[in-house]
Amino acid sequence: MVAPRAGSLTRSALGEFPPNPTIIHPLVRLGGLSEAPARLPTGLDPVDRLLEGGFPRGRLSEISGPVSSGRTSLALALAAAATRAGEVAAWLDVANAFDPASAQAAGIDLDRLLWIRDSRLREALEGAERLLAAQGFVLVVLDLCRGVEPGAARALGTPTWLRLARAAAASGTALVVLGRDRFVGSHAALAVDLRATRLRFATSPEWLEGLETRVVLARHRLGSAEGFAPVHWKVPPLARGMPLRAGSACGGGGASAS
Amino acid sequence: MACLFVPDLPAAAEVRAHPELAGLPLAIVSEWGPRATVLSVSPAAARAGVHRGSALAHARSVCAKLCVRVASPARERAGRDALLDVALSASPRAEPAPSCGGGRAGEAAVHIDVSMPAAPLRSEAGLATALAARARALALPAVAAVAGSRPLAELAARCTAEREGPGGSCVIPAGGEAAFLAPLPVDLLDLDDAAAELLTRFGIRRLGPLLELGGQSSWSRLAARLGPELVGLLARLRGEGVEPPIAAAHDRRIEESLDFEAPIDNLEPLGFALRGLLTRFLARLALRHLACGEIEVELRAGAARDRRRLALAAPTGDPRVWLRRLRQALECEPPSAPVDFVRLAAEGCPPRRDQLDLFRPPGPAPAALGALLAELEVLCGPERVGAPRVADDHRPDAAAMARFDPTRRASAGEAPQAGDAVLALRALRPPLPAEVRLCAGRPVWIRSAVANGEVVHSAGPWRTTGGWWSEGQRFAFDAFDVATSDGLLVRLRYDHLRRIWEIDALYD
Repeated sequence: MVAPRAGSLTRSALGEFPPNPTIIHPLVRLGGLSEAPARLPTGLDPVDRLLEGGFPRGRLSEISGPVSSGRTSLALALAAAATRAGEVAAWLDVANAFDPASAQAAGIDLDRLLWIRDSRLREALEGAERLLAAQGFVLVVLDLCRGVEPGAARALGTPTWLRLARAAAASGTALVVLGRDRFVGSHAALAVDLRATRLRFATSPEWLEGLETRVVLARHRLGSAEGFAPVHWKVPPLARGMPLRAGSACGGGGASAS
Repeated sequence: MACLFVPDLPAAAEVRAHPELAGLPLAIVSEWGPRATVLSVSPAAARAGVHRGSALAHARSVCAKLCVRVASPARERAGRDALLDVALSASPRAEPAPSCGGGRAGEAAVHIDVSMPAAPLRSEAGLATALAARARALALPAVAAVAGSRPLAELAARCTAEREGPGGSCVIPAGGEAAFLAPLPVDLLDLDDAAAELLTRFGIRRLGPLLELGGQSSWSRLAARLGPELVGLLARLRGEGVEPPIAAAHDRRIEESLDFEAPIDNLEPLGFALRGLLTRFLARLALRHLACGEIEVELRAGAARDRRRLALAAPTGDPRVWLRRLRQALECEPPSAPVDFVRLAAEGCPPRRDQLDLFRPPGPAPAALGALLAELEVLCGPERVGAPRVADDHRPDAAAMARFDPTRRASAGEAPQAGDAVLALRALRPPLPAEVRLCAGRPVWIRSAVANGEVVHSAGPWRTTGGWWSEGQRFAFDAFDVATSDGLLVRLRYDHLRRIWEIDALYD
């Protein structure tokens, strides 16, 4: 006996879909219960394998984690993969923390990234809705890591995320919310949580080599929500040259300064 | 030739600026006071018995519900310009007719050479109907007529206005000039006193006998009696004269102004008035298939003038976007005194064309992207929307922004190798001050708003200096990459000029 597929169960539970293709059932629009959406790869093999191809297009996804866990680096990798494929992406930077040099080092085509900086939360949400409504942006990153009180982000509530999820579904854009905590909740089709596992410092010369993190799949409405992927983030070879000899800087000595 | 004609422009311009007056008996007077005379009347007032040239007191006695407004040159000029815009939407060869005096001072007409129209026409009647409809869309009660010559088209438009009222249209076919002109009175020709007296003595009161007179005798003999101007006019009416050409208009500048009867000192009513003004202004641009990326705003308060230039990232004709931008500008910097006059001016430009790359993903449509950028600029501020740029500067926290144009060729630097994960920095703008303890010139303990505790690893320092040629731009930093006991990886720096420690970025 062949077990029924998840999609057919959904169809039987909801009844047949209406014949008009423009009328889409809300559950289909929001959750993607029956149709597998296209994926937007990050370009990082372990993460793409974990996410079964990347972040889903037309869905609301979430990247969360504490500071220095690699969450911004993951979002930049996603934007880099999209822009280098010739697509157009947008970065709504509520915290005004976007660093163009890091973005360029990550491989982002800066001409194809729309940066909206230092906006208030309300403006960023309205901007996200307009970007989604405009069609043509394959990725919209809503960076709420800093500059937004965690309480304020949580207080946004269901209507906001529902509206954004619907707009993302209508436009086929991957909407990714970047934050310290998970506040999108059940409206996210995909949620990944990042944790730092190890710092890598070279000793001679002293040099920050990188950071090892673990990308944990916290929620995956489109597949199995299990597993993690280790990622080793490397510091780009910036034109810093050799460090000064210790003790020659900062006025030397062991005095404390404030 | 076509003619677009408005019989009472001052009244029409007033109704255009104040749509709530539509359908009411309205009279435009020269001034407030006992000597005021009526310059122009609306159709409702004319039906009630109010006539041009009568005294205001008499007009009020004839029509008790008469609405009275003082003539506004600004509104009238805007109405004339709007009429010309309607004409230019049909053909680039259009010019305003010379203004008449006396009882016809309130009339406005535009002549249009439709031999080379801007778009293919179905028929002359269709063109006339379309012209009248476009004028109605701009709240102008105009009449359109098409005929073989300018004076004939204007005469036909004037007769149609009297016969059918606003919105009518008329076509005089080739060869039908004589039949149309025959029953018309000679007074319509606007003759000078001498010619009028001569025709009266001849007993000629209609155009039919006059044209026959010209046909029976030679034109030169008639010219000797009536004057060469009148004979030339008659020839053009019969379609036999030579029409002087109309030069193509290349001017894309649009101006629309509004003066208030009482100065406005509050932003809310000013915004309400600006909404109507802006809608009319952008409707004129849209009629000529233009948009604008910059609007010049002039606010007058008595003798003081406040001029501003408002710009958007891309040309748009969306009134909501421009109104928001205008309100934003006024809220940021309110007028210093009550405003009694507003003028908007812009150089129209064609909207972006949708020419996409065959070999790249489509992305947003250029026209839609322009409108989107304009909306986002209004929403967040023009200096906050654009494409990121790595600043040409040695300052570690330097960042720049350029106009967002995804059609530009790729400017990405060296891409990381496939599979390489690059650790990114998050900038702290402005940097956060930190309290740091040093040991042998290295940080060993930090206290700040983001990172606190023992330093478990550190690398550095890297010295960056620059801007030494300018007092305001000089900088000198010693930077460390620091990992703290609370799990954070930050970029810590010592500012040699201000002698403080601060955290300017986080690794994330």
